[in-house]
Amino acid sequence: MGFRESHFPSGLEVHKRNSPCPTFTIHIEIALWETLSKGKQKVSLSAFAFLFSELVQYNQTQVDNIAELERRLEDAGYAVGARVLELLCHREKGNRRETRLLGILSFIHSTVWKVLFGKVADSLEKGTEHEDEYMNSEKELLVNRFISIPKDMGAFNCGAFVAGIVKGVLDNAGFPAVVTAHFVPVDGQQRPRTTILIKFVEEVLLREARLG
Amino acid sequence: MIVCLAVVGHQNNPLYIQSFTEADDALKLHHMVHCSLDVIDERVDNPKKSGPTINETFLGLLCPTENYKVYGYLTNTKVKFILVTTDLDVRDADMRTFFRRFHAAYVDAVSNPFHVPGKKITSKTFAERVATIVKSFGLTTTG
Repeated sequence: MGFRESHFPSGLEVHKRNSPCPTFTIHIEIALWETLSKGKQKVSLSAFAFLFSELVQYNQTQVDNIAELERRLEDAGYAVGARVLELLCHREKGNRRETRLLGILSFIHSTVWKVLFGKVADSLEKGTEHEDEYMNSEKELLVNRFISIPKDMGAFNCGAFVAGIVKGVLDNAGFPAVVTAHFVPVDGQQRPRTTILIKFVEEVLLREARLG
Repeated sequence: MIVCLAVVGHQNNPLYIQSFTEADDALKLHHMVHCSLDVIDERVDNPKKSGPTINETFLGLLCPTENYKVYGYLTNTKVKFILVTTDLDVRDADMRTFFRRFHAAYVDAVSNPFHVPGKKITSKTFAERVATIVKSFGLTTTG
């Protein structure tokens, strides 16, 4: 995959100087740049992986525990999600508002995933134990591809960034939910898959029931 | 002619409001925008169950008054666009095209990483682009 300068927005240098946290800004800008320009414009994977690793490392210096680090990554993703929703609704949905639960979930599973990662998510399942839980699973999440978690960091998952994106989309579409990323071991595979667990708040399910 | 345009956030907080005329009192136009928010709420809470109008972003004519017509548009994020015009015979198709272009400008404005979601839109580029869209709308309907 080639790396071409034209893929980056021209204002990159300026932002770098003005922003208190350069990695954060540039990262988001690239994620959005990919979605803003129509067609096959893409950012090279190595550039993305490098920036993402910088994002994680920068945030790591700012926190003193894992939960806080995950929360910061999630916040970074949230801003991306909010914008991705606005953009894709305008571009892909043909002037319709999505008001149903399954509609917005499949929108995330296919449309959002395709734009951000170039493919639809591997699976979208409903939780078996709880009515309000949905799971969006991915065998090899793009952000986790080059990341191995040190043993002492426990259950930390960089997918928190993607969970943040999903949360940003859902919250802004009027489906508030708690979204978390987890590793789930798979039989016969060395690497665990990443599951994005979506737990909707009660009012969403009540409204859904009323809509029938 | 379009005399006033407003972007209103999901908690009915104004994000952008701009009048395009010298003659009218800006306050009067703002008042009309404010009043039409209730009409939007009413439309959204009692959706028509039938046909292609369900969940459409374009809400159509909200409230006709003596001199003005007010049109509305609602995005997926519950952000409302409200337009006040003095043209009394506007085709719906023209309005749809206008709102689509306006929505595109809005999306570009909020995609700016330095824009804080839910805060006022202060971008100059956005203001200029909106002014251009408004001007070109006047041209297509009168000429």
